[in-house]
Amino acid sequence: MILTSPVRGAGTSATTLGALGVAGLAVVLELAPRLGLVSTVYLPPLTAMLGALAAEAASPVFWFSLYETLRGWAIGLLLAVGGGILLGVPIGLLPVVRKATASTIEFLRPIPSVALVPLAVLLFGTDLRSTLLLVVYAAFWQVLVQVIAGVRDVDPVAMDTATVYRLGLCARVRRVVWPSALPYVLTGVRLGASVALVLAVTGELVIGSPGLGRQIALAQSSGAIATLYALVLVTGLVGMLLNLVFRAVERRVLAWHPAVRGDSVR
Amino acid sequence: MTTRFSLRTTAFALSGALALSSCASPVAGGGDTPGTSGATTSVSLGVVPVIDVAPIYLGKEKGFFSKRGIDLRLETGQGGAAILPGVMSSQLTFGFSNMTSLLVARDKGLDVKVVANGTSSTGKSGGDFGAVVVRGDSPVQTAKDLAGRSVAVNTLKNIGDTTVRASVRKAGGDPAAVKFTELAFPDMPAALAKGNVDAAWVVEPFLTMAKNQGARVVAWNFVDTAPKLTVAAYFTSAKVRTEQPDLVRRFTEAAKESATYATAHPDEARQAITGYTKITKEQVAALTLPDWPAEVNRESVAVLADLAPQDGLVSGKPDLTALLP
Repeated sequence: MILTSPVRGAGTSATTLGALGVAGLAVVLELAPRLGLVSTVYLPPLTAMLGALAAEAASPVFWFSLYETLRGWAIGLLLAVGGGILLGVPIGLLPVVRKATASTIEFLRPIPSVALVPLAVLLFGTDLRSTLLLVVYAAFWQVLVQVIAGVRDVDPVAMDTATVYRLGLCARVRRVVWPSALPYVLTGVRLGASVALVLAVTGELVIGSPGLGRQIALAQSSGAIATLYALVLVTGLVGMLLNLVFRAVERRVLAWHPAVRGDSVR
Repeated sequence: MTTRFSLRTTAFALSGALALSSCASPVAGGGDTPGTSGATTSVSLGVVPVIDVAPIYLGKEKGFFSKRGIDLRLETGQGGAAILPGVMSSQLTFGFSNMTSLLVARDKGLDVKVVANGTSSTGKSGGDFGAVVVRGDSPVQTAKDLAGRSVAVNTLKNIGDTTVRASVRKAGGDPAAVKFTELAFPDMPAALAKGNVDAAWVVEPFLTMAKNQGARVVAWNFVDTAPKLTVAAYFTSAKVRTEQPDLVRRFTEAAKESATYATAHPDEARQAITGYTKITKEQVAALTLPDWPAEVNRESVAVLADLAPQDGLVSGKPDLTALLP
């Protein structure tokens, strides 16, 4: 929605459509329980959820939990992105390394992070580090795979040219590989960011480390269903905002890139 | 790691100081037990944020722990299943668990020991904090009718199914014919309403919620199992017990004082529940609270211990003297 550029005529209609989608969802959430399609006990109408949200927003615990979740998300994402880039560039560049690691990566990547909960609890108990393990594990692969793809996608002619000009490895990575891999890397970061948020909340929910997830679990075990949904709405909202921010950053950083410049994408 | 080490050192120094000072002052008073140093031991207690542990929250608030030199940290993480491993791996000093889980743990060779009573059934048929409910229109009338039906319990092979079987047995039904399904307490009222299960063993606040939605109680499983059944207790590991006996003693005293206080002040206990759960004031007023006696009801635990091998939860007859204080 924020992404609309003045050049695009379709922009305004995308915003309108987006707003219509949200409004439609809101109407369904309000009416489905009121019309008796689902029991109000288990799915309260949207207005009841918003009321519960207002009550939550008045408590410092809510804001602290939001902070804890965002902190876990940010630290986890940073570690995942750092690790993904540090390992992804050499793997993408060197065919030998790539061949040696490909099957291992394909084996580890699909393992659901949540399956590591017992390990996380065993190693770190219930604190932030447990959540981080899940977040980093899930987001790391998103970034790594994109980085590898980006590095492999470097124009061979440009690489040959760099060789002819006798550029050193560092210069080659910095001037040839990195700029052309950057769009992939940013996509990886954006995907990793969403996955990291999902896993941060899941970790808190399942393990009980502090954050919004734990508040959701608490609402669940208290039978506070409106509050439960209110918190779920918050996590959805946070995810949407983060995605918007990342897309905006992407557009700015890649302003020079044909995909962004030409508006051929999106 | 470092913090834990330093804690242990502090605890050691403290227990030494206490050993000296306790010669002079009788321990029962408990007024200024931390001794000369005034230092406090940081203690982590693994609990599930349910109504059962209200006395501990209240007791902490009232200073029953701090006046005994215990800086109590309540760890509500993990959920019940991970409290036991948490205590065994020394991530938690103490834990809260139901009796059957502790019996099973001992059967598996884990050296757990009860240090204080937790929650007991009220012993009132018609007014306990846990019961088996069915839909209002269900053909099931008594516990006997549960044979051949599906009953939801929060954990299979635990205190839920073993006590529900006791109800069925007592009513003259075939306990082996009951089909148990694992469901989380919060999901039970909905599953029951939808007809996914024929009956559900629920505890508060979900018992009241289910009843408000038209569910009908067919068995008071805790009451049927034993009079004033001890349902859950606070426990620790052999390691803590041998390394910090004085800490265990102080914790036990504080937990007892908390239980006695909560029993005498149920309104304050209800108030405390709204502080650590998201149960509202209106809801909490309608709930049936469990009993919080200071001592474990040994005979009732003996009943659970007899049921455990019968229901195939443990291999041998549990050693109660090793488990209970």
